[in-house]
Amino acid sequence: MDFLVGLYFFYTFISFYFLMLYILTYVQNKKQIFEVVKPNNVKSLSIVIPCYNAADLIGKTIEAQLNSKYEGLKNIIVVDDCSTDNSADIIKQYAKKYRQVMYIKTPSNTGNAAGAKNYGATFVETYLIGFSDDDSVPSKNAISKMVGYFNDKKVGAVTSRVLIKGNKNFLVRAQAIEYKIIAFTRKLLGFLEAIYVTNGPLSIYRKEAFDQAGGFDVKNMTEDIEITWNFVAHGWKVHMAIPAVVYTHPPTTIRTWFHQRIRWNVGGLQTLSKYKKKIAKTGMLGNFILPFFAFSWFIGITGLFFLGYRLFEYISMKILVATYSVSAEVALITMDSFKMNPNILFIFGIVLFTLGLTYTIVALAYSREKGLVIGHNILDIFIYSFFYLLMYPPLLIVAFCKYCRGYNTW
Amino acid sequence: MLKSKKHVFWEAAVITVVIFLAGLLFGMLVETSNSSKVSQLYIKSEISLTDAMATATLTEGFDFDCKIIKKSNIDFANRVYEEAITLEEYEDAGLLTENLMFLHKKYDLLRTLIWTSNQNSFDRCDNYDLLIYLYEVETEDTVKQATQNVWSKILYDVKINHKDDILLLPIAADQNLTSLDLLISQYDVKEFPALIINNDNVLYEIDSVSGVESLLN
Repeated sequence: MDFLVGLYFFYTFISFYFLMLYILTYVQNKKQIFEVVKPNNVKSLSIVIPCYNAADLIGKTIEAQLNSKYEGLKNIIVVDDCSTDNSADIIKQYAKKYRQVMYIKTPSNTGNAAGAKNYGATFVETYLIGFSDDDSVPSKNAISKMVGYFNDKKVGAVTSRVLIKGNKNFLVRAQAIEYKIIAFTRKLLGFLEAIYVTNGPLSIYRKEAFDQAGGFDVKNMTEDIEITWNFVAHGWKVHMAIPAVVYTHPPTTIRTWFHQRIRWNVGGLQTLSKYKKKIAKTGMLGNFILPFFAFSWFIGITGLFFLGYRLFEYISMKILVATYSVSAEVALITMDSFKMNPNILFIFGIVLFTLGLTYTIVALAYSREKGLVIGHNILDIFIYSFFYLLMYPPLLIVAFCKYCRGYNTW
Repeated sequence: MLKSKKHVFWEAAVITVVIFLAGLLFGMLVETSNSSKVSQLYIKSEISLTDAMATATLTEGFDFDCKIIKKSNIDFANRVYEEAITLEEYEDAGLLTENLMFLHKKYDLLRTLIWTSNQNSFDRCDNYDLLIYLYEVETEDTVKQATQNVWSKILYDVKINHKDDILLLPIAADQNLTSLDLLISQYDVKEFPALIINNDNVLYEIDSVSGVESLLN
């Protein structure tokens, strides 16, 4: 067996393992996916919203928080990170009108969401502290469906399910599919105590745990990943409430999408680097989250190189054969080219693809709107599976290069 | 309240190993089945070869009809050629066992024997063309692989055009077969691919079907 065949078998094995892990976790916990834990008492909560030049969206975000059906919500602290548009005026109007809303301004622009969030957190005196992005709209009962998890004194953070509304173009539709699959997978990871990120659009933390973590890491480009790892490293449990839905606005152009994903991936690498010494040491962080993260990177990058190599070899061969065939005046394509004699790797690939597609459809069905079977058309799922996901490995390489060069720009 | 179920990590590992082993076993069974199909064909060809060799020995001192000898030799070589195509298809799908690789070697030896057993009848009758196509099966050189691919197409077309008048024997030259190596050195073949036409011309370059056809009887 040559090296490449061995490598294919290795990749196949790893893919099967993670797919099986998710399928088994789903089968064993499917009745609990939508479980809502009833709070045993009312826990006071403050929501911090960092805002920078979000005049067109901040009003809706504040209103959505005001409409939250949670009686423990004491304050909505909107932190203006020295916006240059009229965000401050809008926030001040709400602060004037509603007692819960507080307008805070950072002494100078912090340059990232983490700085503004930390600044806002210094004004929080409640038992729980929540964070929301300035363009995120939580459903009315999102918070009330999250706080029950804090009955367990070991729970440090609870995150929500982020969804996307609208179908402006393919990129938005692909992200809508992606977000649903991410949410479903994250919920499954929650059953394994392996949630590795508490999202920016809406997450709630136990204030004690937040303080113990020292707030968000302002040097990290994905402060929401970093703080989650910090919590898990300190032994706090992290949960996800699938019924707690929050809507966000995704990038609508390839350029902004690419920029966002580079930031996420560079942030992921920064976090990986910060916690690398904990590998195989600290509970789920060292034994699963860290290796899982590192391994995903390794597989993504090496896989792309091998795929590129094979593709180059195949195309070179085809070009040479075509050139020689033309000069020798023989057929470019023969019937032999269409003969199918599948080998075991091909069969494994078909099985993996079928299982993967089934998983995708199940994940989408769990997030469907009323009256719909899946909520997305087949063409979008097909394009998502075959094209959108393939954009990831090159993106990982760009992110890796940028990380090596010390990229740290929002 | 939700409970962590970390045992699923082990369960997933066990199921994956079972599925993977079952898949590998299935793959090995398919490959073994393919190689036994080709083995059956090989046994028949081996019998035909023995028969052909016996016929060649028998006809050495007598006057036999060259038309019958030609037809018998070409039909046999054609059958071996068809079997080689089947073997090649199975070989492309073979990843786990080495059975098909050994069968390939056996077929190369068989074709070498056909080549040698044809020397007498070819010299005596001279009523058909003998084309020996020597190539490298293990080469990693992309240019050589592409060249061999096109040579196969050219020779296939030549064979189609002169189906009943050509005995075409493609033989992998890099199989470490002593008899084949001796034959190759006898013709002073220096590189591959090479085409030996009628035990006489050794070509290292062929540019078209008509180019090869112009060298035939």
